[in-house]
Amino acid sequence: MNEQDSRPAPRRRWLTYAIAAAVALGLGVYAFSLLPEPAPGSRDSGPLLAVSLPDMEGNPQSLSQWRGRLLVVNFWATWCAPCKEEMPMFVQAQAAYGDKGLQFVGIAVDDAVKVRQFAREIGLNYPALIGGYGAMELSKTLGNSVMALPFTIVIDRSGKVVLTQLGPVRPAQIDRLVADFL
Amino acid sequence: MPKPALAESLLRAARRARAPVAFAAALVGAASLLDMGAAAAQVKLLPAEEAFRFAARGLDARTVEASFAVADGYYLYRDKLRFSATPEAVALGSVTLPAGKVKEDPFFGRVETYRDRVVVRLPLDNAAPGQVVTVRAESQGCADAGVCYPPNAQSVTVTLPGAGAPPGVLIEANPPRKRWFN
Repeated sequence: MNEQDSRPAPRRRWLTYAIAAAVALGLGVYAFSLLPEPAPGSRDSGPLLAVSLPDMEGNPQSLSQWRGRLLVVNFWATWCAPCKEEMPMFVQAQAAYGDKGLQFVGIAVDDAVKVRQFAREIGLNYPALIGGYGAMELSKTLGNSVMALPFTIVIDRSGKVVLTQLGPVRPAQIDRLVADFL
Repeated sequence: MPKPALAESLLRAARRARAPVAFAAALVGAASLLDMGAAAAQVKLLPAEEAFRFAARGLDARTVEASFAVADGYYLYRDKLRFSATPEAVALGSVTLPAGKVKEDPFFGRVETYRDRVVVRLPLDNAAPGQVVTVRAESQGCADAGVCYPPNAQSVTVTLPGAGAPPGVLIEANPPRKRWFN
């Protein structure tokens, strides 16, 4: 083996580096595309707590009134079966941990008549605010890039967003939140 | 010493321009492992326009064929499908929706859903051959992963074929963006 063999000519070496760089770049882009959803919009609960929406009776309610509690804000709608499915569990958790500082607030991407009817059906024991379709846009600014429901944001007592989730909340997650943040 | 000799010969082999190939092969291997991990970890949800892709074509001088390509793991509600056509003078006649798959929903009772693909003929009672028509479809659906999408409207503009001419090409409301890596 002579020197020529073990050391590539400068041009070939350049080509080697170029290919390696291109492959690395490609894989970087590929790996990035595999990353989980753009996830937890913002860690700052400020914009959400600044929101004020009418309740089922039409009275404006500001989310900031629940500052200092473990606040679970759930975007839902009566046309969304998975949303309706998880709500009885929220009702139970509200009853069990409400006096310890857990506070559920529903924001309905819906109209008041349908919301009132469903609230009666399940004995809703926490506030349901009426957001209409504008609430969908609001949820998008909070990390719901896919714009689907249910979408849930949990804010701890210090005002930090501790969970942002698209899709149903599992009972174990509620237990975990209660154990970690109440 | 056999080991260093082996290592040296491998190094030499790599230097002989096989390096980029070996490098690329190793990275592709690593990337496919990464891919499997990501797929197992979570379902990546699609935005409504990608989960329910609306398309249409001029079938004959007085008919538009509308269709939805429903992504795997997603479904549309039959009773939420609505079509309209403009200009209104084309007079969209009565639309017969194909039978869906019956689903017993704990909240909505017996509902019919469409998966995979649904094709609907839109009769235009007063259209002229070669006329340009915009059809709008309103749809609502969910993903098996446990989320639902708000009612979503998509439109496609097609040109009706001339009298006796073959059907036009299928036009997608939201053509899929080119994805390089997934």
